[in-house]
Amino acid sequence: MIINVESPILEIHDLTVSYDQSPVLWNVDLSLPGGKLIGILGPNGAGKSTLIKAIMGLIPITGGYVKLFDRELNDVRSRISYVPQRESVDWNFPASVLDVVMMGTYGKLGLFRRPGKKEKKIAMDCLEKVGMQSFVDRQISELSGGQQQRVFIARSLAQEADLYLMDEPFAGVDMATETAIFQLLQEMTAAGKTVIVVHHDIHSAMNYFDWIIMLNLHLVASGPKTDVVTEELLRKTYGGKLNLLTKVSDIIRQKDFNPLKS
Amino acid sequence: MSFDQNAFLIIFTASIISISCGLLGVFMMLRKMSMTGDAISHAVLPGIVIGFFVSGSQRGLEVIIGAGLLGILATLIINWLKNKAKVQLDASIGITFTLLFAIGIILINMLAYKVDLDQECVLYGEIAYLPIDLWITNSGFSMGPRITYLAVLNLVLVSAFIYLLYKELTLTSFDENFGLVIGIPAGAINLALMSMVSYTTVSSFEAVGAILVVALLVVPPATAFLWTKKLTSLIKLTCALGIFIAIAGYYMAYLVDSSIAGMMVAVGGVIFLGSALFKSIKPNFIFGTSTPSKPLEI
Repeated sequence: MIINVESPILEIHDLTVSYDQSPVLWNVDLSLPGGKLIGILGPNGAGKSTLIKAIMGLIPITGGYVKLFDRELNDVRSRISYVPQRESVDWNFPASVLDVVMMGTYGKLGLFRRPGKKEKKIAMDCLEKVGMQSFVDRQISELSGGQQQRVFIARSLAQEADLYLMDEPFAGVDMATETAIFQLLQEMTAAGKTVIVVHHDIHSAMNYFDWIIMLNLHLVASGPKTDVVTEELLRKTYGGKLNLLTKVSDIIRQKDFNPLKS
Repeated sequence: MSFDQNAFLIIFTASIISISCGLLGVFMMLRKMSMTGDAISHAVLPGIVIGFFVSGSQRGLEVIIGAGLLGILATLIINWLKNKAKVQLDASIGITFTLLFAIGIILINMLAYKVDLDQECVLYGEIAYLPIDLWITNSGFSMGPRITYLAVLNLVLVSAFIYLLYKELTLTSFDENFGLVIGIPAGAINLALMSMVSYTTVSSFEAVGAILVVALLVVPPATAFLWTKKLTSLIKLTCALGIFIAIAGYYMAYLVDSSIAGMMVAVGGVIFLGSALFKSIKPNFIFGTSTPSKPLEI
């Protein structure tokens, strides 16, 4: 089930991406509304990261096109932000937390200009939003996984964009941090920003996302979560791997089931 | 001991070259491209030969341009092999620079009767001859050692390059994809850095040789990185180490009457090994702002 919207913020038409001749994304065709918290779900190797990298122009597209804000990517770069996977960089790099968050402001600064007081203020505000203000001067090599993730989110906030693409920002993050970050993302969408998140956990996805994209090489579903999160579509996305999960939820759904009774 | 002008000139020039190489070396190391620097320093040989042949002298601008172009070509071949042909990075570096270096040797032999150049001169250099290689103006006035001028000009250009592109170099070294997304021309910045490395190699090879250039690109930054986790301190410490290597290398060579360039590399290597040993024995030794690191929560 693929629901399309009027005047989409992101429009993907017949997108195909392949590595070494073998396609990893087939004919993805979707449009997304603005101001929503959007989740991309799918099993490992479904092409979730590939999809957002293709949207950002980080990997070449074999066929189709992507339009953002009804424009070409290069015209709207300053309005788009990206949170890469935490493992994609070497955290042993000699930089402080503040240095990394300030990098988010470099796009607007342009070549040769140096960040000043204004950029530092933006970076500090963004660190506060993710609850990392007390780590400003900490070297990034000394952060835990969850803290690294929050630094990356703060860096993308510092870009002051309209559309955020996040690649598994909840990998290796504890429950408390996950809840806090989801709240932050909800505040952002309430303020009119659009946030697209690659995510693994179906349960928290159901709680927080407004709109869900299900992907497994092909696009399985895209629409408001109440419409697309059905057993049939989940099974189609995850294949047999979901059996255990649906069995458990089926049992719970039977109202008379109570393990404490007998 | 009275003031020895020759000793001062040699140490001064060696320090200047060390600093230029160290500044570029810091960013090469952070990009995990130290060995690309090695490749470039060898791959420029055909460019030097062709430039030499065209200009008819070792001092021509053509030599620097030829070497610069070959350095960029080497970088492009390495990137192409790695990204498009899916060859391992170390293998693509090994193939590229040996091939280009071999072409350089063949060219030297073919043009041997026309050019006063051999591969030993490119590989080893001889800084001890520096005080007698003078820049003499048309009116016959001696301006002092030619290579010292080249080294100072090189340092000025390298410093300006790093000062102007500091934030772009840092960002693309840390997270190239993020740089691309926010519209920083990461590919162009990378090529610009490689061009600067090529130019520095050519500018320095007569004095210290390609092998010492590689050592100066790799060893001081790697040693400094053992001691600090802050980029500005890393750069300062790298420069300080470069100067120390020049001074200690000169006097040790004087003492045992041996090659100055060779002794400089040896001093650098010993300092690095000493630091690595010290760090491995006292892993929690606190220096500067760094504090003992905690294991990651994964």
